[in-house]
Amino acid sequence: MKILKKTDVILSISLILISVLGFFIVELMKKDGKTVVVKQNNSVVYEGKISEDREIPLKHNTVKIKDGKVFMKCADCKNQICVKSGKISKSGETVVCLPNRVIIEIE
Amino acid sequence: MSSKQGNNRNRIKRLAIYSLLCSLCIVFGYVEFLIPTSLIAPGIKLGISNSIAILLLINGDIGGAFAVNISRILLSALLFGSPFSLLFSLCAGIVSTLVCALLIKLPALSPIGVSVAGGVCHNAVQVFVASFVVGRGVWFYLPILTVAGVICGAAIGFLGIVFSKKAKIDF
Ligand SMILES: [Zn+2]
Repeated sequence: MKILKKTDVILSISLILISVLGFFIVELMKKDGKTVVVKQNNSVVYEGKISEDREIPLKHNTVKIKDGKVFMKCADCKNQICVKSGKISKSGETVVCLPNRVIIEIE
Repeated sequence: MSSKQGNNRNRIKRLAIYSLLCSLCIVFGYVEFLIPTSLIAPGIKLGISNSIAILLLINGDIGGAFAVNISRILLSALLFGSPFSLLFSLCAGIVSTLVCALLIKLPALSPIGVSVAGGVCHNAVQVFVASFVVGRGVWFYLPILTVAGVICGAAIGFLGIVFSKKAKIDF
């Protein structure tokens, strides 16, 4: 049995190319967002303009809107991925807190 | 020895080997649990346990690959997971094992290519399930998860080949 075949390499490279291409297409299509939508357990708990600075306290998370950017200020989840995700401002971008089922979306 | 006795012995041997491989998977799972790979991107896992499924598929044992993979997913969810994580890993596990079981029949692909396809499918299914739970925003993670799936998949396929050369499993 040959350990690595040509088809394996072609398959791997094309999978990576497709994903990178997809990523760039998505990046290029991004536009500045207008509305911030915060969802908890799939239901909308906050909807407002991204231009208005404010803090949105939730049960386990705190969302902050400042200078046209949105970020998870703090969360009580274990992994803290949502807090580390940083600030978002473009349409379609999201910050997700999977453990607490909180999602910040920009539209 | 009558053929019935031989059959029974074969089944017991099979059960013993599957159980052994399954417990090996749990150990791999625990090792992965200790490595904080999910800090790179949520949901990234090495998937070392899948090398066992690849090993069984190399031996042409599709049923065994499913049996070991599904039981290790159920067991590791009981040990270190939640019902929530079980949903993700079960969907992804079944689809990726199915993809691997189909692709292993292709003479053009080596077990490395099969494992790469399995790894990428595994991650794609997880993103797909997550998009229902948290919203379509998670699709942004797909590119990095695809690259991770290719790299981890290749490593795991190689590991599966190494295992199949070292461990002769015959029923
Ligand atoms: Zn969080």
